[in-house]
Amino acid sequence: MSASTHTAALKHHFEDLEQQHSSERLGMWMFLATEVLFFGGLFGAYTCYRLWYPAEFEYASSFMNLKYAAINTCLLITSSLTMTLAIRSARLGDRQGIYQNLLLTFALGAAFLVIKGFEYAHDFHENILPGTSSFGGEIKKGAESLGLDTGKVRLFLCFYYTMTGIHGIHILVGLGCILWLVLENYRGKLPPANYSTVEVVSLYWHLVDVIWLFLMPLLYLAGAHIHHAH
Amino acid sequence: MADMQPGKTADDFARDADRPGQLYLVWLIVLGLALANIGLSTLELGRYALVLQLAIATVQATLVCYHFMHLKQGDKVVILTALASVFWVGILFVLFMADYMTRHLVID
Repeated sequence: MSASTHTAALKHHFEDLEQQHSSERLGMWMFLATEVLFFGGLFGAYTCYRLWYPAEFEYASSFMNLKYAAINTCLLITSSLTMTLAIRSARLGDRQGIYQNLLLTFALGAAFLVIKGFEYAHDFHENILPGTSSFGGEIKKGAESLGLDTGKVRLFLCFYYTMTGIHGIHILVGLGCILWLVLENYRGKLPPANYSTVEVVSLYWHLVDVIWLFLMPLLYLAGAHIHHAH
Repeated sequence: MADMQPGKTADDFARDADRPGQLYLVWLIVLGLALANIGLSTLELGRYALVLQLAIATVQATLVCYHFMHLKQGDKVVILTALASVFWVGILFVLFMADYMTRHLVID
């Protein structure tokens, strides 16, 4: 690596590359703090209503597709691994490795969205929906026979669609960022001195993964102990 | 400014790279915890279910933040930012709960 590559990566308003990388990391972490608060609002609201209406929330959660959630969780955790390996490839100047790890991460994230699509399709088909007329099927009949308030069951479904939907949008944005990184790699803009470009995208991606790690128990595991005869 | 010393060489970047073995280990542990979380949740644990699920999620999040998000590296301001975000969400939860969980005391 020649000195010119290093000075090309160093932006003029930084003393040295270490300061530049630290600043880039800090900038992304500050943004992540705002994202935590963004989801925090949804988690806070969910917590209050879950503590108020435990029976209805656990009942509604028992209709969520645990198999899809389990697969999706495994996909996201693995994508975090491949994303971190992409940073490693960037540090080592391994361009092929960057491509492989980024594209693997993209594939895993895309698979997550595809499975979410199947999950939503299944929910729509079973009328597991929060609307006044769209709510029906087995989830409605079961709630009524158990003497549960269907309004509160539908409230859970509001949280389910909002939280997984907004999380899905974040995954989509992350996928876009990963594609941008692939393009940057193609342009040769990810030498070891610029590894932090990969790192800041990976920080975002890991946060989206961490959010899912909390989302999944709240939405899918609340009623996992209730077994339905499907 | 173009001839300023960058301070690091390509060898420095390569030397500070993560060890893949460690990354794979963290991956397996987080994956294992996820499967354990799901498995345990199918049992009748009553009131402890939620606490256990969130505890496992917290351990997973800590591992991801420390190893994958490189909090292990020790950038003090970054660690402060990460802890601050938890603190701010904490304020949010305290204020929410103080309202919602005490309403029954004032409303018949």
